[in-house]
Amino acid sequence: MTSAASPVDRKPSRTRLFLRRNASLLVVYGLIILLGAYTTLSSPTFLTDRNIFNILRQGTFLGTVAIGETFVILSGGIDLSVGSIIKLSVLMSGILMDGKPGNIALAVIATLAMGLAVGLVNGLLITRLRIAPFIATLGTYSVLRGIAYTITTTPKGKAAPAFLRLYDIKIGPVPLLVIFLALLLIVGIFILRRTTFGRHIYAIGGSEQVARLSGIRVDRVKIGVYVLCSMLAALTGLLYLTRAGIGDPVTGEGAELQAITAVILGGTSLFGGVGGLIGTLGGVLLIGLTNNILVVLNVTQYYQDLIEGLVIVGAVALYKQKRK
Amino acid sequence: MSSDSSNILEMQHISKSFAGVHALRDVSFTCRRAKVHALVGENGAGKSTLIKILAGAYQADSGEIIFKGQRYTSFSARQAIAVGIGIIYQEFNLVPYMTVAENIFLGREPHNRVGIVDTRRMIEETDAVIKRLGLSLSGNEQVNNLTVAGQQMVEIAKALATRADLIVMDEPSAILAGHELENLFAIIRSLIEAGVTIVYISHRLNEVFEIADDVTVLKDGQVVSTQAIAELSRARLIQMMVGRPLSEVFPPNTRARGSAVLTAEGISTESLPHPASLTLYEGEILGISGMVGAGRTEVARALFGADRLRSGRITIKGATIMPRSPQQAMKAGLALVPEDRKSQGLFLEQSIRNNITLTSLQRLTRLFVIQRKRETESIERAQHDLGISMASPALEVQYLSGGNQQKVVLAKWLETSPAVIIMDEPTRGVDVGTKFEIYQIMRRLTERGVAILMISSELPEILGMSDRILVMHSGQIVAELVRHQATEERIIELATTGESPEQTTA
Repeated sequence: MTSAASPVDRKPSRTRLFLRRNASLLVVYGLIILLGAYTTLSSPTFLTDRNIFNILRQGTFLGTVAIGETFVILSGGIDLSVGSIIKLSVLMSGILMDGKPGNIALAVIATLAMGLAVGLVNGLLITRLRIAPFIATLGTYSVLRGIAYTITTTPKGKAAPAFLRLYDIKIGPVPLLVIFLALLLIVGIFILRRTTFGRHIYAIGGSEQVARLSGIRVDRVKIGVYVLCSMLAALTGLLYLTRAGIGDPVTGEGAELQAITAVILGGTSLFGGVGGLIGTLGGVLLIGLTNNILVVLNVTQYYQDLIEGLVIVGAVALYKQKRK
Repeated sequence: MSSDSSNILEMQHISKSFAGVHALRDVSFTCRRAKVHALVGENGAGKSTLIKILAGAYQADSGEIIFKGQRYTSFSARQAIAVGIGIIYQEFNLVPYMTVAENIFLGREPHNRVGIVDTRRMIEETDAVIKRLGLSLSGNEQVNNLTVAGQQMVEIAKALATRADLIVMDEPSAILAGHELENLFAIIRSLIEAGVTIVYISHRLNEVFEIADDVTVLKDGQVVSTQAIAELSRARLIQMMVGRPLSEVFPPNTRARGSAVLTAEGISTESLPHPASLTLYEGEILGISGMVGAGRTEVARALFGADRLRSGRITIKGATIMPRSPQQAMKAGLALVPEDRKSQGLFLEQSIRNNITLTSLQRLTRLFVIQRKRETESIERAQHDLGISMASPALEVQYLSGGNQQKVVLAKWLETSPAVIIMDEPTRGVDVGTKFEIYQIMRRLTERGVAILMISSELPEILGMSDRILVMHSGQIVAELVRHQATEERIIELATTGESPEQTTA
């Protein structure tokens, strides 16, 4: 209808625009501050260097995999296979390393290559066979999980001592893993904002049709996104090996849902095209903080799940996504 | 005005505006009982808005509806159905994987006290309606197994099953082949005999003259005339539909056309079954006219690689290409400003910056990194050249007016320095001021040697801007006119019937 368009620009006020754009960030970081303040008052052990950096270090695992998931969700897809990739990665690297320092390089490279291969399979299933991302990655999730439990159902393999030490290394008071996550985030944000690949991800998530009509090689970008996500999941598996020192097949159980939760909590639209990594970091921190607080306050595991669920639904309800 | 009992429907003094723009202005529309009333007008004349008000999809700003003697100021969609108004839209409202009977009773399934659906009664009533329409359908047939014509019949049956006394058919013939149309007309006639009133919306004047008793012409949201069809000649009707002075100023073409820059020979795609050929010369605007659905957009999509070519070849600047994707067409020097900027041209939730530079990122990138400075320069140049008014390039495109949004789409494509720009409805949903600016921009481009293929439903625009005009009818290019040969009447004649009384060019 020709006349449906307004001739006048509807310029929303600056404040309103700021609020609308950043509603999710305000909610997530606001909640983090509120929870932090409350816990600081009720527990003396909460606000200590040791505890804070501990929370951050724990956040590295979820953070790494959630960065990959953010890329996928921004492009309008979803990746359910990351939990199984973590599982296979920790097993594979532990077994290949077998406690020998000389095997570190081989184990790391082979594990990352596995991630790359899985991402490629996901990407090809989605772009070439036109299988919906949910279904395609649910398939690889199941297959990889099956492979992992075929290899072993009990912990197996062994990290080399030097590799195991990585978890405890600190630079000043800051754990190496935390610095690592910070670097990953910076690179990720840079890719999303300042590279063609990043812009194309937002474009495809915003509207695949417009992206295609704008001459973007949609399939190629999508494959790239799934490869990146799977490799970050494989990397997360390696990080778990630095902590546990052994390949435990229960590692990564439910990681895909946690990662998706963090991304959504951070305000990235499940439909794609809107959001980013600063939000995801908020989501990761909020989840980590909630868990930590419940531990500090001595709440049992079952209540933890329940409260985490309420926080998620509550936070998202506060900035419910509007979409035509 | 008093209501007359021989009229089933009187819509009186209906006005409706969207965001300050009048879509309908004091429209009165009256239908006699058990007659076919045609509603005609150019695209954007307000037909759909009027029908949507009748359907309860929109609420009128002012005015009343008198239906079967009952006065209403507004309808809800449910009410409209309940009082006996059935609307058959161009896009059917059918659930493909349900049966005919399930579709007909969707939302009002007969059921017993515990809520179990009475399938037998559903089938029986469906069969009764089908029989009444004289159709060879089974109530058990799954809808997606039917032809489009069959699905249309299901829509009609659905309207009848809700005891509709007035059925609106929006462009029912657009999707039908010749013999199917005959069938539709037969059914319309039998419905009229049974006392049902039909509002028939169509672009095709042949059909209007064949089936209608009365006709109302809408233009720019106002009623031009309501008359019995018998009092009208075809020429008079066309004149009423067009009847507007060339109010916009079209900048003249000052440049002689250059050599051929794009040649398409016998191109066809799945949605463009008849092979089409055309040549586009440097520095000219080639207009494509025709009714909606005549295949204009399909030609554009075929050229741009958006639909897969089934046959033919395309030569751009001497190089033959078979664009398999828009990306290849873009590389060859083509740009497409699409028909619907909201769904095909823009990322509404993203910034003006991201929208404009998306197609030219490669040029702005060094070592994989987008150079902010170059990007800002690009945007400032576009803003200056096209006169885009914006608070900041970081603003999301959704907050811009239609005119500014269209300029953003243009800017995005001009960044690629195309040799050929295909513009599908370049000024749709754009205010008059911006319209004029867009015409100026188009002329500036052709002066630099760019070739423009302009698809438009607005005849003044086609006549005012094009150096040559192709007219399409039912998926085929039926005529090529040079500017001085073309008149509005001639184009409408060609676009509605596919033929011209005095054949000059093939």
